[in-house]
Amino acid sequence: MRTYPALLSRTAPFLLLGGCAVRGAPSFPLAGAYFPDWMLCAMVGIVVAVGLRVIFVQIGVDTILSLRVFTYVSLGVIAALLVWQIWFGP
Amino acid sequence: MSGKTPVGLLIAAVCIVAATVLGIHVANEDSAHPSSDSGSIDAEIVHMASTVGGRLVDLRVRVNQEVRRGEVLYRLDPEPYDLTVRQAQANLALAQAEVENQRRLVAVKTASAAVAQAQTVRARTNRDLAARTVERLSPLAGHAYIPLQQYDQARVALHDAEISLEQAQQQEVAAQTAIGDLKSALATQDAASAALDHARYELRQTVVVAPTDGYVTSLYVKPGEILAPSQVLFTLVANDAWFANANIREVDLRPIRPGDCATVYSMIDRHAAIHGHVDSIGWGVLSADSAGLPRALPLVPREMDWVHVAQRFPVRVRLDQADPALLRLGATATVEIRHGAACR
Repeated sequence: MRTYPALLSRTAPFLLLGGCAVRGAPSFPLAGAYFPDWMLCAMVGIVVAVGLRVIFVQIGVDTILSLRVFTYVSLGVIAALLVWQIWFGP
Repeated sequence: MSGKTPVGLLIAAVCIVAATVLGIHVANEDSAHPSSDSGSIDAEIVHMASTVGGRLVDLRVRVNQEVRRGEVLYRLDPEPYDLTVRQAQANLALAQAEVENQRRLVAVKTASAAVAQAQTVRARTNRDLAARTVERLSPLAGHAYIPLQQYDQARVALHDAEISLEQAQQQEVAAQTAIGDLKSALATQDAASAALDHARYELRQTVVVAPTDGYVTSLYVKPGEILAPSQVLFTLVANDAWFANANIREVDLRPIRPGDCATVYSMIDRHAAIHGHVDSIGWGVLSADSAGLPRALPLVPREMDWVHVAQRFPVRVRLDQADPALLRLGATATVEIRHGAACR
């Protein structure tokens, strides 16, 4: 319970970002090259999977999980796909 | 720690199923709304050249300048073409004079033919008189009422008159044939007239005007340059219609129809959505399998390829309205067909 506001404060900007959504081309310039939108989504997915693992270990949810690799990979995939759907989806 | 609790298994199952369902959904969405981030902004170009050659004497545009349709871009030295026009004018005058000459000649020859015709009439009258004389004298000579000498003279006169008539007839035919007509002179006149028109056309070609609104690019020379006929001086990027070319995989082509809405981003400003619509889809691309000479045998590499990369076809999107600053030929473009900010 102690960490719940912390979780909220970490995820809230994410949820808010979904509302405003990125306007503009789904292609991001970085150091003179353009990176595709799906690459950003994949990054988000990896960060979410790793982040959830850290949070779940801290709050103790991790102990009740089984098939952890599949669970965390699935969560990361869901996060990535949701980001794509919200930001870049038609 | 690693207990296989039913709750844990349930959570894992829910997560995997959710990820799979969402993945299929997103894949369908993506396939139904094709997009490309490797497109390019495209426009039509005109290679500015004159059909005639000569020295560039007047260059009225600078590189990267915007020009309007009908504006004079450059002029070549008109003097040689001016001289050619004058020469052609003189040739035409000569041909016209020749027509007049020929007309007079025909009139003279027509009169000669009339004379020849009258000569024939006269020769025939003489022949007839000689014939009647012989006819009258013949019975008289038979009864020796007149000297035989007189009869002989009459017969010789008839023979003479017959030859004269024949000659007069031949002369009449020759005189009629010699009249001729004006065809040759008129044809020469027409040829001279066409040559003059051509010379005037070439003179007009020394002034080159913009065929369309556009931008001057690739201009590297100054006045004084000598240009060969049809030598390109610079390239004009037409400003009346802009396009985006997006290469779309063949598996995603099916939902695309000409007229579909498209959102185009020129990467000059990736936040400005440009509204466009699909103009057409390319009917052909050169593939590695069809490379080679048309009449040679097919070139088939020895290989075992398990994964085949999808062919892409260029989809041409016509841009409806855009900030001119975003439109540069060859700029990177992101194209979203049937979705995106401009299609909502």
